[in-house]
Amino acid sequence: MRKLLSMTLTACVAAWSLGASVQADTPVTYTDEGRALFRFEVPDFWTLRTGGPREIEDTELGDARAVSRVMGMRPVTDDNVWMGFVSPSRVSSIQDGLRYLEDIDKFLVKDPTVTSTSDTRIGGLPAHVVRGTGNRDGRGVNFTATVIDLPRGRVAIGVAILQDGSDPSYVDALNAVFASFRSLQ
Amino acid sequence: MTRKLIKRSVLALGLGTAVFTLSACDGVTVGVGYGVGYDPYYDSMLWNDYYHDHDVDVDVDINRPDRPDRPDRPVRPNPPARPKPPIAKPPSRPHPPVARPPAARPPIHRPSPRRR
Repeated sequence: MRKLLSMTLTACVAAWSLGASVQADTPVTYTDEGRALFRFEVPDFWTLRTGGPREIEDTELGDARAVSRVMGMRPVTDDNVWMGFVSPSRVSSIQDGLRYLEDIDKFLVKDPTVTSTSDTRIGGLPAHVVRGTGNRDGRGVNFTATVIDLPRGRVAIGVAILQDGSDPSYVDALNAVFASFRSLQ
Repeated sequence: MTRKLIKRSVLALGLGTAVFTLSACDGVTVGVGYGVGYDPYYDSMLWNDYYHDHDVDVDVDINRPDRPDRPDRPVRPNPPARPKPPIAKPPSRPHPPVARPPAARPPIHRPSPRRR
C-alpha cells in the first residue's frame, strides 16, 4: 500500500513538473537602425518595454545625450524582478562595456557592492558577468550585470535585478532569458 | 497493481487539475503593476555618463563654467480680448460607433483569360 502511494506520488510529481517546464516563450529581436543585433525570449506572463533610440537631457546641466534602445521586462505580477538589455552605440569591446556599466550602475542601484565577477559564454559569445548587491528605494537589491561581446564591434549589456522579497523561482526565468540569447549577425 | 496505480494517478492528477482550474476562476486581481510611466530600473538604464566626460565625475564637475542667469521675461502688453463670434459652434456630428471595414478590393493579380 505504502509502495503504491509513493509510486502514485512520484508519477504525479513527474507529470506536474513536466507540465510546468514547458514554456512557450516569445522571441524578441533587438534592432538598431534597421540592423538586427541579437534576440532573446521573453518568458510567459512578462511585460516587455521595447523602447527606442532617443535623446534625454538633464534639466540642470542641460546637455542632451543620445541613448540607445533599452528593452526592459518584468513579470506581470511581480514588481521586484526586472531585466533589461541595451546595445549602446560606439561601445565595441567588453572593456568598453564594463566602463559603460560603471557609468550607469550608480543610477541603477545605490551603494553597489560587487560580490563576484566571471568570464563566461552566453549564446556562444564571450561574456563578462558581474554579480553584486546594493539597495534601491530602501530595499536590498541583487543585481547581475553582463556584457556580451557581439560580432562586428558591438556589445549587448544585460542587467537582471532581484529585489528583496522577490520569488526566488524567478532566477530560473532570468537564466532562461540568458539561455535564449543569440547573436543575429 | 498496475491498474490500481494508474487509477490512483489519474484520480490524483484529475483532482490536482481541478484545483488549478477552480483557482483560475478566482479573479485576476493578483497583478500589482506599476502606474503608467513609473519603471525605476528602466529609467535608470536609460541614463548614462559614458559619452559625457570620462575624467570628470558629475558630482564634482568643477570644469564647467557657471551658467548665466536666465534673462528676465519680456514684459508684454495684455493681448486684446478675442472677439466673440456671433454664431456658436454647432455640436459635432455623432460619430458612428465603429470604424467601417475597408472596402473590398479586387486581387492584384488576376488570372488572364484562357487563350483559345
